Amino acid sequence: MTSVSINNQFDTAEDIKKKTAKPLLWIAIVSIVMLFGGWTSAVIVSKGSSPRWFSFDLPFAFTISTLIIVASSLIFHYGLFSIRKGNSNVLKLASIITLVLGVMFIVSQYYGWKDLYSNGIFATGSKSTSASSFIYLVTVFHVLHLLAGIISVLVVAIKSLKEKYNQENTLGVELSIIYWHFLGGLWIYLFLFLKYVA
Amino acid sequence: MSTHHHHEQDFLFKYIFSTDHKMISKQFLITGFIMGFIGMIMSTLFRLQLGWPGESFWIVDKLLGSWAENGVMAPDKYLALVTMHGTIMVFFLLTAGLSGTFSNLLIPLQIGARDMASGFLNMLSYWFFFVSSVIMLISLGVEGGAASAGWTIYPPLSALPQAIPGSGLGMTLWLISMAIFIISSLLGSLNYVVTILNLRTKGMTMTRMPLTVWAFLFTALIGIVSFPVLLSAAILLIFDRSFGTSFYLSDIFIGGQVLEYSGGSPILFEHLFWFLGHPEVYIVLLPSLGITSEIISTMSRKPIFGYRAMIGSMLAIAFLSTIVWGHHMFVTGMNPFLGAVFTFTTLLIAIPSAVKVFNYLTTLWKGNIKFSPATLFSIGLVSTFISGGLTGLILGDSALDINVHDTYFVVGHFHIVMGLSAVFGMFAGVYHWFPKLFGRMMDNKIGSIHFWITIVCSYGVFFPMHFLGLAGVPRRYYTNSEFPLFENLIDINVVISTFAIVIAFGQLLFLYNFLYSALRGPKAPQNPWDSNSLEWTTPVEHIHGNWPGEIPEVHRWPYDYSKVDESGEFVGGNDFIPQTTPLFQNEKNEKH
Amino acid sequence: MMIILVSVTVLLIVISVAQILKIAELSAVSRGEKVYHISEKENKLQAILMLVFLVFYFSFFAWQYLKWGKYMLPISASEHGVGIDNLMNVTWALIIPVFIITHILLFWFAFKYSFNKNRKAIFFAHSNKLELIWTLLPSLALTVLILYGLNNWNKIMTPVNPEKEHVLIEVVGQQFSWGARYAGADGKLGRANVNFIEGANFMGVDSTDKNANDDIIVKGEFHVPVNVPVQFIFRSNDVIHSAYMPHFRAQMNCVPGIKTHFNFVPIITTAEMKKITKNDKFDYLLLCNKICGAAHYNMQMNIIVDTKEDYQKWLSSQKQFSQNN
Repeated sequence: MTSVSINNQFDTAEDIKKKTAKPLLWIAIVSIVMLFGGWTSAVIVSKGSSPRWFSFDLPFAFTISTLIIVASSLIFHYGLFSIRKGNSNVLKLASIITLVLGVMFIVSQYYGWKDLYSNGIFATGSKSTSASSFIYLVTVFHVLHLLAGIISVLVVAIKSLKEKYNQENTLGVELSIIYWHFLGGLWIYLFLFLKYVA
Repeated sequence: MSTHHHHEQDFLFKYIFSTDHKMISKQFLITGFIMGFIGMIMSTLFRLQLGWPGESFWIVDKLLGSWAENGVMAPDKYLALVTMHGTIMVFFLLTAGLSGTFSNLLIPLQIGARDMASGFLNMLSYWFFFVSSVIMLISLGVEGGAASAGWTIYPPLSALPQAIPGSGLGMTLWLISMAIFIISSLLGSLNYVVTILNLRTKGMTMTRMPLTVWAFLFTALIGIVSFPVLLSAAILLIFDRSFGTSFYLSDIFIGGQVLEYSGGSPILFEHLFWFLGHPEVYIVLLPSLGITSEIISTMSRKPIFGYRAMIGSMLAIAFLSTIVWGHHMFVTGMNPFLGAVFTFTTLLIAIPSAVKVFNYLTTLWKGNIKFSPATLFSIGLVSTFISGGLTGLILGDSALDINVHDTYFVVGHFHIVMGLSAVFGMFAGVYHWFPKLFGRMMDNKIGSIHFWITIVCSYGVFFPMHFLGLAGVPRRYYTNSEFPLFENLIDINVVISTFAIVIAFGQLLFLYNFLYSALRGPKAPQNPWDSNSLEWTTPVEHIHGNWPGEIPEVHRWPYDYSKVDESGEFVGGNDFIPQTTPLFQNEKNEKH
Repeated sequence: MMIILVSVTVLLIVISVAQILKIAELSAVSRGEKVYHISEKENKLQAILMLVFLVFYFSFFAWQYLKWGKYMLPISASEHGVGIDNLMNVTWALIIPVFIITHILLFWFAFKYSFNKNRKAIFFAHSNKLELIWTLLPSLALTVLILYGLNNWNKIMTPVNPEKEHVLIEVVGQQFSWGARYAGADGKLGRANVNFIEGANFMGVDSTDKNANDDIIVKGEFHVPVNVPVQFIFRSNDVIHSAYMPHFRAQMNCVPGIKTHFNFVPIITTAEMKKITKNDKFDYLLLCNKICGAAHYNMQMNIIVDTKEDYQKWLSSQKQFSQNN
């Protein structure tokens, strides 16, 4: 087994943070994947066992959401490229645009839910079935996780406006971007899953 | 004034909101033990009912109050006690109490780190655990009583207050408590994995880590993969209960009316639940196996036999544990082909388990064993692991499971293989690392008496349960002698209950030993067991950052016990060579 | 009252033992001995106790078997159950020797190799040969068990061929009783659903379905003919129940919203089983084996295995569904 090159001096909290922040985030992402994995496999089990399962077309708004979140990821990443080259102004702009796109994503999702609702697909109550409840459940929980992402982008935006980042110090931006890309990937997975599997 | 204020803050952050892994470890230990004692008292109470059904007991009357009119507990409150006993023991004592205590204490100390990767997350992990424990205890006192649907909380029983009173507010609190508990567990696991992978000291390669650390690593990994799935199951149940969805519910007629749920499947819950539920067994068990590997090797003054095989078997167990959940569902009407697949994967677990047992035996063989209470409990663990594990071959076999599924045979099996093994591992760990936890020694004599009472009575409690199961007695029955069929079995229940009472009192010895030693015990030397691993190079008094100077460098694996050179003398003059000792000149550098 | 006295006594004993040991220990401290050190005498005592325990454990095992073995389930009353019992015996034949040998090794090693300052432990860290042996041995044994087990499992799970002579029974669980419905002369069960539950129609049979007319619904006990395959369909009205018929080695969950299946061939009539068990009051039982509420422990139904003639006689004396309405 290979060993990671190991430095003996982890005396400052800053060093430890630098070394462990990303792995912590990655493992947290694994557990979020398992959470949604639980639900999407639940959809498959329910679909297989319930005679009353039905499929329906996803609202168009969800397609728009997909475009929005992909765009935001690209723009945010461009911000990271720039700060690595020392250009903090692009990061400022990119993080603010990402923030706006993030909010737009939620608005777009809201229109999607509205659309579903007006087509008689309800989240709860006697007219709902597990098929209709699942679609609300996974999309709502995705948005809840996205709220955390928006907070992290907000922090990046404020810090970059205060010129806290530079070529050497991009850890905060990277963490935020990893999580943001993950949310984008998660949404694309959910979107495709709901469209083609459920 | 200001100094006083400063002092107060110090106290608060040192003992309450500490981010130091050693303090958090003690917090987990003590909270876990308090929960464990409550769980044990519950089991003693319902054992009174099972041993002497319908008889009135003063203690039941006093402790349960309105749950037990005239000292006889009500049938649904019996189920509440069974449910809470299971929940508390599995999650609060043996998941958080065991893993939380020893992962926190030993990971940084044994890999040579100043602290966990994130002390803050670690502190949050404890406090989430604390809050969830408090909520779980509060749920005992609410209207309708605590959750009563069994610790597996299968809907619809757990979803409908009409079905059993405990599925009202009690169940709501249970779910909230468990959701918080899962977050606590995830925060802890995150930290353990990242710390092990990133913060090892110089020279501490993965294959020089003690088996305890390996066990904690696998435990944390299984937790990260499976606990979120339980959370997803719990969230769906919360929605079904409170917001009118029907993920799990369909076609239900109860309380004189048809409910409006449709399209859901209770089997879905079973799948999601057992996807955690089975790995949970190994979340409970692996830390104990790691702890005993370390203790058996140290105390028999021999290297652990088959270090790599031990890691490999833990890896195999961890992997297999996530693909065997269906063996809890052989008789739910699932596809027989799936049943066959799950039988196959389930019985495969016997192979790595057998390897572990034989490796333990070979480690003891031709050793020079010192019987500290920790050694005794470790040997006890090997015994319970064998005794309980073997009956797993019956339960894991789908054809045989048909007739013993959900009977007392199962209760006997899992209490021995999982309950006793994990508890023995935990006791062993506490006795062994008590000097590291509290800087004092526990009493060996009381410890060994505690062990003998515990092992004799535990077998006295759980072994006869196999006979009940083979006689066809289902579990979770308020009384086992309701039918003519089971009339003869009352003897067995009396035997079990008597042992249960004695073992409960036996634990007072431990409690006394623990408390007395923590406060008044003799001061511990730095390395009381002549152990190789890194935790014994830290000062006895806890300091922040663990080592006063630099973190020592590691030069060898932790199991160089009784290593001799060509002339037959101990290498280095002692029967142990700490990991910090560089290779001697003529010493062979062996691959292990 | 007895129990409190016993408890208090035990408590007192525990406390006094602890106190005595404590005093002994404190005097040891005052004499300057290392209290955590385990003396050789003490070590020897523990080693002997290991052997004592081994003897105790095995005797306890034997004692239980002799005392309670007779209470275990009688021989299987169903055809597939004989297969299960054989498989069980083969498994026991494998498990018990392993149990005994490993325990002897464990406690014998613990006794034999207890600490002795004149002896050195051997440095024996690994051996590929040994490790290979005890990976392969269990694998071989398990292959046998798995194949044997799955062979049984597949036989048990194969549904009754609907062309052949059989009895079709639907069993419905509800808090806290069972009901059984026979398909009647047409061999078909009428549609049923919780929405049709009303009054005496506790199984929710749809009275507009023609197939339901000759269905026969019974409570309290149900009869099956000997040597004829019985195909069961299980349903539940409220929560999950489990239909457990221990004497027939049969069990299947009853899940609301889902139909589950099981089948077996009864081979011993109730009358014969009364002789075999030497118990005049013997009756086959259907028990609930999945926690289902307060009276879970008291949810049962008698099963009577009749000769074919007696079964027909009993069946024709039962009311058909259409006669009830």
